[in-house]
Parts: sequence; C-alpha cells; structure tokens
Amino acid sequence: MIEALRKKAEELLKNKTVDVVYGYGEGSVPERTRPVFITKPEDVNKLTWNKYCVYNLTTYLKKQEARKLGKPAIVVKGCDAKTITVLIKESQLKREDIYIIGVTCTGIGDPPATKCEACDVNTPLIYDELIGEKIENKEFSFDERYAELDEYEKLSEKEKWEFWQKQFEKCIKCYACSSICPLCFCDRCIVDKNQPQWIDPSAHPRGNLSWNVTRAYHLAGRCINCEECQRVCPADIPLNLLNKKLAKETEKNFKYRSGYNADDELAMATYKEDDSEEIFK
Amino acid sequence: MEKTLKKENFNSLITGLKDKGYKTIAPKKDNNLITLCEIQEADEIHFDHIQTNNSIKEYFLPKTEKILSYTIEKTKVSIEEPEGFAVKSVVFGARPCDAASLPIMDKVFNWDCTDKFWIERREAITVVTIACDKCDSYCFCTSVGLAPDSKKGSDVLLTKISDDEYLVETETEKGEGLIKELETVFSEPPSGTPDRQVATVEKKFEIDKVKPWLDENFVHKIWAEFSKKCIGCGVCTFVCPTCHCFDIVDECTMAKGDRVKNWDGCQFKMFTLHTSGHNPRSTQDQRWRQRIMHKFKYYVEKFDNILCVGCGRCSRSCPADMNISEMLEIIATDEGQPEPVSSDEGQPVSKE
Repeated sequence: MIEALRKKAEELLKNKTVDVVYGYGEGSVPERTRPVFITKPEDVNKLTWNKYCVYNLTTYLKKQEARKLGKPAIVVKGCDAKTITVLIKESQLKREDIYIIGVTCTGIGDPPATKCEACDVNTPLIYDELIGEKIENKEFSFDERYAELDEYEKLSEKEKWEFWQKQFEKCIKCYACSSICPLCFCDRCIVDKNQPQWIDPSAHPRGNLSWNVTRAYHLAGRCINCEECQRVCPADIPLNLLNKKLAKETEKNFKYRSGYNADDELAMATYKEDDSEEIFK
Repeated sequence: MEKTLKKENFNSLITGLKDKGYKTIAPKKDNNLITLCEIQEADEIHFDHIQTNNSIKEYFLPKTEKILSYTIEKTKVSIEEPEGFAVKSVVFGARPCDAASLPIMDKVFNWDCTDKFWIERREAITVVTIACDKCDSYCFCTSVGLAPDSKKGSDVLLTKISDDEYLVETETEKGEGLIKELETVFSEPPSGTPDRQVATVEKKFEIDKVKPWLDENFVHKIWAEFSKKCIGCGVCTFVCPTCHCFDIVDECTMAKGDRVKNWDGCQFKMFTLHTSGHNPRSTQDQRWRQRIMHKFKYYVEKFDNILCVGCGRCSRSCPADMNISEMLEIIATDEGQPEPVSSDEGQPVSKE
C-alpha cells in the first residue's frame, strides 16, 4: 500500500498534475507520524501509511503556508474525505483545484479512535485515486451511529451541566481545537474580535464556556467527525462528544449527515418549507 | 541539609503540611491526564510518570488572573487591587526541569517592571521536586545544561534511593525551614553513599553551537521547511514552563470592569497584529523562528539564560509533531543543513 501511494505521488509530481502532495511521513517517535509536504518526485519515499496516520490533512488547505506550495494532492482517509465534500459545498474549494488520493482504512490510533468504532467510510466516498483494496462500506442504524452518546444522554440536565463545567474548567484557551479543524476556516474567528468582545478571551469559567459552546455551534451540521479537535486538546476535553451530539440532532431534525452526499443541501445554510420546527422548542 | 523520607511517611507529610497551613499541589491522575493540582491526601499523588501534562508555571503565572478591578463614576475612577492571591503552598513532586524554570523567569519578572503577582507567589510557594528515575525520547534537559536531578529552582529535592525511600536534600533556607517544620516525618541520612536512582537522559546537541548559528541565520530556509506542518495553535507555549507572554484585557461594562492578565503565545497569528492591519510576523515560519530565537538568542542576550529547560512538553503535546529538540539538533550540527537563502525583505522564503 505504501509503495502504491509513493508511486502515485511520484507520477502526479512528475506529470505536474499537482505541485505538492500532502501526506503522512515518519514521526519523531515510532508511535507517531507527521504531516509532510512533498514537492519533488525524488522525495516520495518520505510518504508512509500506518495506523498512526491520525491527521486530517485537509486542514492544511486553510493554511497560507501550504497553499503557497501550489495545487495539492491530499492523502485522505474516508473520514477526512468528507471534509472535502463540505468545503466544496461551502464554496471554499473547487473540485478541480485538488487531487484526492483516497486510502482505505480499517481504523487508526492506538488505542483505536472512537470514531473508528462505527466507521462507515472505510473506503472514502470521494477520490481521484484509491490506494488499498476497496472495502465494502458498512451501514449502521441511527442508534448505532450515535452509540457513544448513550451514557452521556442518560445524564440529567443538571448532571450534564456539571459535567461540562468540569470539562471546560480545564480549557487553557490554546485554540488547538480550532487551529486543527479543517472546517474552522474563518480568517478571523469570532474569538479574535474585540469590538464588541463577543467571547471573553480569559480562560475562566465564563470565557471557557462561551468559547467551547460557540466553537461547537459553529460546527453544528458541518462537523464530519474526524475527531481531530479531541485528539489535539492538551486538556483532554471530550470535544467530539459535543460535535457528535450536534450531528445527531442535525440528522434527527434535518435528515442531514455532513460530508456524505454532495447533492444534499447544507442543513444550516438552506431553508426548506418543510424544515422541522421541533428544534426551536 | 540531608535527610531521608520513607514512602510510608508520605501520609504524615501531606497531613503535616495541611496542619501547618500549607496548600499542597502534586501530580494527580485524572482520566488521560496527569496534572499538578491541589490534593488533600497522599493517596491522590501519582508517582509513576515521566512528566505532568501541565507545567509548574500555572501556580506562579496562572492562565488567567484579575490584576485589578475598577469602577467609574462620572469623573471619578476607583481602583481595587486584588489581595490574597499568594497562598502559602507546597508544590510536591514536580520535576527538576519545572523547578529550573522558576529562577530563569525570576529574571524577567524582576526586570524593568517588578511583577508583584509573580514575586509574592514565589515567596509563598515552596518547591519540592522529585528527581526523574525515568525519561522518554522527548526529554532533553541534559542538552540545555540541566539534569534529571538538577537542584536549580528546587527548595527541596527528593531522589529515590530504594523502592520505598527517598534521599531528601535541601537547597534553600525555605526548604530547610519546611523540613524543620515537619521534622518528625524525616529520618536521618543514610551512612555511606546512597544508590541514587536517576534516569540517564541522552544529550542530543551541543547548546554552545545553537546561539552562534542563530546569530547568523535570521534568514534561512530551514524556518519555513521545518514549520510547514505547524498549525499555529498555542499548545507549545501554554504547556511550556518558561513561555511567559501574556495579554492584558479589560472585561467590563461602561461603569465597571476587571483588568485581566491572560496567557498569550507567539505562535498565534494575532499575537503581533498591529492596529493598522500590518503584521510583522505574518507567516508561521516567522512565528516559529521567533519561538526559537526568543528562547535561545534574545533571552540569552538579555538575561544570560536559555529560556528552555528541556522538559519536552511542547514536542509531546504538539498536534502536528513539531519537535523542538530535533530543530535544535539540526541547528547544532553542521551536517545536513540546507544552504541559507536570501530574500529582498529579509524574511525567510516560504516557498522553495
């Protein structure tokens, strides 16, 4: 699989189909990989693929430093590929401006990431070239998809409030969650605006609550469940629990799953007369 | 002063500290994190780790703190200064690298403006460290002139000498005072040379070679090469025990407000954004270069100290596997360095 990946990258760079390949390279320790940006065909041996390829590399599409390198080919897992569908839908990217190297994946992380438990995109839904044996994507029921919320949803409102207060107390306002998020692409985040100051920049309970809730809400109906925010959080806040809950509410109310189908209208940006009003109650 | 402390006496130590009016801060495990936090009992203390996720910094320079409150009535402004922020405490079981960061930062907080919040906390807090008996590949204290059993910044250093006993060495008067206060908990020093169980931390680079290289290479393509994967968040600076930049904001209504001091970090693009819209560090390579330059050149020139203790937290926690000691190894080794490139603006070139 690694060989096929390197061969494809070499071909794309040689033919000048793309200027750069965003891929996974060897990390600082064997249990890690790191994002690499390959611009020369002779460097494709730096590309690798293993269970530590946790990054959603589409996040570099929003970084000027990566964009400057030219047209990219991006190595994506099934979960990451959903980002591209959303970015195109949200007019952030044109399909022809990117070459998608999809890799089939049976789960990443050690221990495996939560998102991998009910993965229905082992084979990416969108790609130009597929690396690895095609895997028949599984189907899960609504309840199975959101099974990780079962315990959380059993909590009373008061318990939920206490749970999040305890979690957000740990936040140090490093903004790694939004920096790593490929869908947090605003050049100037609301948290950076201070006239008026919408969100207190301080890492005190009020500031942390307003930041974390606002971040999650801006991703409602958009988050594709790559779990990168949760992975990078140095305070170990289960951020994806919030994202997942909002995804569940979006699906329940608007029959929309982010990143799955390019023909679906965006849940939060499209008004339909038959939209459910349950959500306003 | 030398003593020994038996593991079975940890309970009496922590209870003793409480009785003498100390708040105790120690490593504690909570889910996937091991954090230095307030504890009530010795059982809560976690020992079997390399490094805590948070650094000792937050007990001297909190992530957020009110530095004054004000009320405005017509033309009259009343200011109220906070009190009681420096609480008599003991940080127990921090690592020697964390403790070493304190005297390094004393220099900046006692410089042209003395920071009473830092200074009063330094007086109120006693630091009892435990020498590292293990390390990982991110640790590089020995490359920045420290060691897993450095005494720098510690009031008391504990070193494991057997499975259930620690050697206790006091380094300051404050440390001696603490030991005397709780005398009964400690035993007399062992006769002969104790078997100190201290980790061997590999030396990764010659620190003497770093600054001369930095002096010459403000413009170099390595900055951009190395930082391409950086996502520009604040993790490295916030987990760092020596990064001390802060921002001051007013959280207020028209008539009253709090002036608050918050951690800030040079890796954020907003950090240097001017009101005019100009940003002198507009790209991530310039911001990464600033982090290295500040730690290994500017701070050295100003305060004669490296602003890094080799704890490795920035690399361990980096979302994109940026590794500071790897960068320093490249700098300190002549071999394999890319040639410097020039640019008209005197800025690193972000594209090859």
